[in-house]
Amino acid sequence: MTVNRRKKPASVNPMKIGQSLGAVLALQGCYRAMPLIHGSQGCSAFPKALLTRHFREPIAVQTSALQEMDVIFDANRNLEEALNLVLSKHRPDIIGIIGTELTDVAGVDYQNMLKTYKRERNMRGGLAFSVVLPDFRGSLESGFSSTVESMIDEMIQQVGHRGQRSMNTRQITLLPGSFLTPADVMELKEIISSFGFEVIALPDISTSLSGHLLTGFSPLTRGGVPLDSMLQSLQSGLTIAVGGSMERPARRLHNAIGTPYKVFEGAMGLKATDELLHFLHQISGEPVPLRYCWQRENLLDSMLDAHFQFAGMSVVAALEPDHLHSVSGWLEELGVEQKALITSFETPLIAGMEREVWVGDLDDAEVLGKGADLWISNSHGIAGAKRTGAAFMPAGFPVWNELGAYMSVSAGYRGAMEWSNKAGNLLMQREAGSRESSVRHR
Amino acid sequence: MDPLRQDEFDSQACGSMAPKAKPCPRPKPGEAAGGCSFDGAQITLLPIMDAAHLVHGPIACAGNSWESRGTLSSGPSLSQYGFATDLTDSDIIFGGEKKLKDSIDYIAGRFAPPAIFVYSTCVTALIGEDMDAVCKEAADRIGIPVIPVNSPGFVGSKNLGNRLAGDALLQYVIGTGEPEPETDLGVNLIGEYNIAGEMWDIEKLMNSAGIAVTSRITGDARYKEITWAHRARVNMVVCSRALLGLAREMESRYGIPYFEGSFYGAKETTYSLRQMAYLMNDREMERRVDRLTEREEARLSQELRPYRKLLRGKRAVLYTGGVKSWSVISALKELGVQVVGVGTNKSTEDDVRRIADRVGDDTEYIPEGGASRIIKTVRERKADIMIAGGRNMYVAMKEQIPFIDINQERHKAYAGYEGLLRLAKELTYSLANPIWKLAASPAPWDKEAPPYDR
Ligand code: SF4
Repeated sequence: MTVNRRKKPASVNPMKIGQSLGAVLALQGCYRAMPLIHGSQGCSAFPKALLTRHFREPIAVQTSALQEMDVIFDANRNLEEALNLVLSKHRPDIIGIIGTELTDVAGVDYQNMLKTYKRERNMRGGLAFSVVLPDFRGSLESGFSSTVESMIDEMIQQVGHRGQRSMNTRQITLLPGSFLTPADVMELKEIISSFGFEVIALPDISTSLSGHLLTGFSPLTRGGVPLDSMLQSLQSGLTIAVGGSMERPARRLHNAIGTPYKVFEGAMGLKATDELLHFLHQISGEPVPLRYCWQRENLLDSMLDAHFQFAGMSVVAALEPDHLHSVSGWLEELGVEQKALITSFETPLIAGMEREVWVGDLDDAEVLGKGADLWISNSHGIAGAKRTGAAFMPAGFPVWNELGAYMSVSAGYRGAMEWSNKAGNLLMQREAGSRESSVRHR
Repeated sequence: MDPLRQDEFDSQACGSMAPKAKPCPRPKPGEAAGGCSFDGAQITLLPIMDAAHLVHGPIACAGNSWESRGTLSSGPSLSQYGFATDLTDSDIIFGGEKKLKDSIDYIAGRFAPPAIFVYSTCVTALIGEDMDAVCKEAADRIGIPVIPVNSPGFVGSKNLGNRLAGDALLQYVIGTGEPEPETDLGVNLIGEYNIAGEMWDIEKLMNSAGIAVTSRITGDARYKEITWAHRARVNMVVCSRALLGLAREMESRYGIPYFEGSFYGAKETTYSLRQMAYLMNDREMERRVDRLTEREEARLSQELRPYRKLLRGKRAVLYTGGVKSWSVISALKELGVQVVGVGTNKSTEDDVRRIADRVGDDTEYIPEGGASRIIKTVRERKADIMIAGGRNMYVAMKEQIPFIDINQERHKAYAGYEGLLRLAKELTYSLANPIWKLAASPAPWDKEAPPYDR
């Protein structure tokens, strides 16, 4: 309907997250990868700390460690040094160079430098690419999808010279959006493969950030999709993108090698899951597996049980664009009032929404969502939720006040059920709490 | 080069183990870790709880860093708000000074803070924003201090950022106010940031010996109290060489004596309290401190007994920044824990000497090298536990090594006598947890085959 902004010069309690963090996240989903942030130390230390805090896993990332004089004189010397060191010491399969606002403003041309570097060293076998992600544009979501796009670009270039593409109609490439948790990606992989497809998720954080007990420390990523599977994905008969932001990478695959694609704007709630399963049923010719028929009934039953809880309730949600779109659809099904929807930046998906959305920060959530019963945002929202007296439900990134948040499922019927129960419980506790205090105060 | 920067580049101050006068090594691209100077400046100033802290730059510097520290407040929480000018492409092209000015006005109007700190970041420094001028003009206009903190990330390490923040306090804050007449003057605590509420334990302790805290620089501080820091009788620099310059300068400007101390371990705590009383030149207070420390130490030693029994002979690898290395070693030694490996990555020569005084000959020094190097030491030295910062926590978990978080993000207060007891408990809980056995044993169906990747 409309996208609005409140008029204020400063960002207060920002929810926007630097694009480069999204890039680092995407690369965690590739096996033996190293994201290399071309910028100053802090630009890699902050994302590393934040991602570690959210996923409770070690995070692979390195920096070109620019200092003042390097930026002014020769930033590429640092990048070259960093590349030399990372390549010789750790032998990554994948290396993603992430340009920052600093290299952008200083006008550093590292993309050409990377080309020359690769040519001179006759680099083969691995995947090395770069992506420009200044922080004054976009947010985590756009950083993530741009990185996947650049990755795909590089894959196509590498394989492109090797002639004809043989297509495997039983294989699907899944492009999961940045808002999906490792458990979500796992859930989607399971759903798709239950119709008899091979699935290659690109990237695949479900096997790298979900917790594993691989010992033997390596500064590279320890899970995720391996390079040969990534390249093999170019043979897929279909691309499924989840999240509006993943449409561009999907389109890239289509334009370059003709892979048809289907975009699901979200995978949360009854309708969204119905749509996904129906589609899979149609293209595979397989019946919908019994367990999903069961789950659908479980979901409906739990929504019936919970609807008393949601009656007359209102919600404020502040999330990244795709995530907000998904969550809003789910809230619709619960029948709660959506008091205010806030997101970090404008995307076509957001602009096309039927509801009013605000581009802003968590302070806007506090002002516009005043009086809401439930507050959904990342952990930075705790204080605001408290001030407005709303029950707080952590979602998105970063979440640090809850164990296992990264393993919570929102996708599929199971995810919708989990979320509905969680939200209902929070409202129930809040109600009980306020009843108790009103008794005490009398 | 201005004196402060020069200082950073001399090895003594910047914290390398290199011989004197050799410049600080530049961070190695592809192998660097740790935060930037902007991060360091925030660490030092954010604990001024009632002030507003505005980050001038694109969003990530502020967006990725706010609410990342465990510094606690007993009251106002404005410092926990994330403020950023959030520059866009066009702001960069046309300059962000107007937006900065508007942001300052907006914050002053809406939140009425006693002061606003404004931080530069790499991009605003690079495009040459005149932050000092904007701040000065704004301060005159709105009538509250607006303090520029010129510590963009790319000038150097976190340590340098701490120092630049100290410099801003000297230049713009300390000496600009006077304490209320009835204020009991005593000690400034410099470099104590109230992580996990440690400051509160310390203050309680000092008060029970009759020692007042004049200014907290900056753990759980209010802006006003820092303006009168120049009236204190003693400065204590708590575990932070980066702010030593601040203490030195206050000695030469205001004649306030200073000492370096720590509150980790009973011995260090007792020493620090004694030192305060001594420097205040007050016999009566010295006697009070003696009585208090004797009593506290005796009580603590009682309470520690069961834990000491369990901890005796346990081996630890300690990896933390600079000063904390030696101070935590003292605490561990008192518990009977042997430090078999210690990080010296951010330590100065002084620190290393102090470490050497406190550990045996067979302790391994870990100069740098990050996680893989630490783990190697843990394995080779057969350590029972790793004590380090949160960055390495999950690396340790993957390796199934018991771990205790000692840095900025932790939630446990380890300072003072109470803190030592807490540390003993934490160590015991951690070592005794059943998870270590469970995680090490394979699934029943895997008993025959060796587990993967070993
Ligand atoms: S290094 Fe510079 S741009 Fe990066 S976080 Fe630090 S201040 Fe910001």
